[in-house]
Amino acid sequence: FRFKDSLAEDLRRADLVISHAGAGSCLETLEKGKPLVVVINEKLMNNHQLELAKQLHRDGHVLCCNCSTLVETLQLMDLSTLKPFPPGQPEKFALFLDKVVGFQ
Amino acid sequence: TGGHTTEILRLLSCLSESYSPIHYIFADSDKMSEAKIRSFEQKRAETFSNSKFTLDRIPRSREVRQSWTSSVVTTLYSMLYSLPLTYKLKPDLILCNGPGTCVPICVSALLLGLLGIKRAIIVYVESICRVETLSLSGKILYYFSDYFIVQWPGLKEKYPKSVYLGRIV
Repeated sequence: FRFKDSLAEDLRRADLVISHAGAGSCLETLEKGKPLVVVINEKLMNNHQLELAKQLHRDGHVLCCNCSTLVETLQLMDLSTLKPFPPGQPEKFALFLDKVVGFQ
Repeated sequence: TGGHTTEILRLLSCLSESYSPIHYIFADSDKMSEAKIRSFEQKRAETFSNSKFTLDRIPRSREVRQSWTSSVVTTLYSMLYSLPLTYKLKPDLILCNGPGTCVPICVSALLLGLLGIKRAIIVYVESICRVETLSLSGKILYYFSDYFIVQWPGLKEKYPKSVYLGRIV
C-alpha cells in the first residue's frame, strides 16, 4: 500500500474514509463524495496543513478528531450532518484569464 | 511538485486552444509531474489537435522548511537556469501556483521586462490549501505579479489587491 500510484479505486469502494489532514487526501476524498473523518495530529503537522482541515470542518464537510478521540468519534458520529463538497470551477478561471490576455 | 501539478493542470483544463504552446517548467527533483503532464496533454490533444507543449526542468529552489538565507542562495542558483530558459521561451503569460520553482522563473521574467526584452503577464494562483495564510512564494509574488488569485474569502480580506473567484480547482 505504501506508495500506490492512485487510491482512486480504493476510494470508490469505500463507505467511510479516515485520513490525516493532508490537503490532497482530504480533497480527493471529498470530491468522490465519500464521508471523511480527519484525524489531526498537531505534533506532526506544520500549521498550514491544518488550515484546510479546519476550514472544511467549519463548513461542515468533514468530521474532525485527534488520535485519542478517534474511537469515540467513530462510535458517536452522524454522517448525515456532513454537507456535500461542490466541485471547483476552473471555467471561472478560464473566463478571467481570457479577459486578462484579451481573448474575448 | 505533486499537489501543485494537480492544481495547475485543473486550472488549465478549461483554457481554450489559443493558449498554445504551453511550456511546463518544474523542478529537477520532481519525479511524478512529467507523467501527469503528459497524460493531461494527451487528453488535450484529443480536443485540440494543434496543441503544442514543452517540458523543462530547473534546479529546485527550496526544500520544505529550508532556512531563509540558504533559500536565497539556492534560488539564485536556480536563476542561473531560469534566466536563459525564460529568455529562450519569451513567454507572453506566466501562470504559477506556488512551488518554489516559480520564484526564479517570475524573477527572470521581471528582469527581462525591466531590460525591455520581453514583458510577460504574471498570474499567480495561490493553492486551495492556503485558507488563512499565504505560502512563501505567495508572499513574495503578491507584490510582483500582475494578478494574484486566492481561493478563500479570508485571504481576499487580508490581501485586498488579490482576486477572488471562489474555488477554481
